[in-house]
Amino acid sequence: MRPLTEPETKVVFDKLANYCTDLKSLIAPLDDGDRYVFRLNHSRVYYVRLSIANLATSISRDALLSLGTCLGKMTKTGKFRLHITALPILAEHARHKIWIKENGAQPFLYGSNVAKAHVGRWSEDCPEHSGCVVYSMADIPLGFGVTARSTAEARRLDPTGIVCFRQSDCGEYLRDEDTLFAG
Amino acid sequence: MGTTRTIKNKHAANGSGIKGSKASKNGPVNDGVIKAKKNAGTRAPIPGSGVKGRPNLADILKKRKKRVYSEKELGLPQLNMVTPVGVQKPRGKKKGKVFVDDRESMATILAIVQAEKDGQIESKMIKARQMEEIREARRAEADKKESERKAKLEETKDSLRKKRKRPRAGGKTQDDDVNGFEAVKALAAEGTKAAKPKKKRVSFAAD
Repeated sequence: MRPLTEPETKVVFDKLANYCTDLKSLIAPLDDGDRYVFRLNHSRVYYVRLSIANLATSISRDALLSLGTCLGKMTKTGKFRLHITALPILAEHARHKIWIKENGAQPFLYGSNVAKAHVGRWSEDCPEHSGCVVYSMADIPLGFGVTARSTAEARRLDPTGIVCFRQSDCGEYLRDEDTLFAG
Repeated sequence: MGTTRTIKNKHAANGSGIKGSKASKNGPVNDGVIKAKKNAGTRAPIPGSGVKGRPNLADILKKRKKRVYSEKELGLPQLNMVTPVGVQKPRGKKKGKVFVDDRESMATILAIVQAEKDGQIESKMIKARQMEEIREARRAEADKKESERKAKLEETKDSLRKKRKRPRAGGKTQDDDVNGFEAVKALAAEGTKAAKPKKKRVSFAAD
């Protein structure tokens, strides 16, 4: 386990900035004097309290399975891929949102893109190809994706047209159970 | 090691000797002699100084030698070999990765990234708005053209209808001018049969 290097930090922040508006609050000091830090172990990036990270130094790299919240994975080409486990953090500071109806929740959770017919409402002024968090109509975050059309264009789209390309959904907790946390 | 030192000493002595020669009266001949004596060792300067009878010069030369040694040690590469760029190690730099763990440096990186991203998104939005405006304008133009075309069509239709009506009502004279007897025949046929002549009228109007 080690802290991130400068380019790694940049890549991680760059990816998070696609989905979140306020990144400063992520590293802001907490009331008890503690703060959150980023740690890398087995090419996975964890978002964890500093006190817990310090405790975790007593565990060897191989023995340490996970700590804090796993944000995603650094690829071998140096890119960063967000995992579904980062959803609570993204949902808290989401830049753009899409709410999907009951009939669209299941297809989305099974890994399909969001069709216009399934959209209950979406945030205004959303450009195309920007990150968005997908919620159910009861404001429960279901996953995140990338908008296929801008809000204005999506209005003219036919009901079967795709509005949002899925990046990750809660169904991955089951589908990718084997590889999500280790391996 | 010893040999390299002596060689470098020679070069260094040459440079310094020339400088010294300018100051001294005898010039470069004396310097050459002195260099040869340097290689030989400690024996050489003693007879040289004995012959000339000037101990001051020898002392000065010795001092110069010492200066050259100090220059050598300042950081010239010992082996005259080409070192590849990748192999050269930067001096005084820490080996390995540089971690970002303190809040300040993290905050600066974050601020840079955030500003960059905001700029990108802003430009994207502006672009999207402009495109939307252009599309709206195009659509409006297309609608306008469509309506104009329809209006024109209606107009021509109306004009054709009017033309058709003329022979019915009282435009016989005009038709007579155009086609003469044929028109009269047609009108006569109209008077007798109501359904059939319509077709004939159409063909006639087309002419």
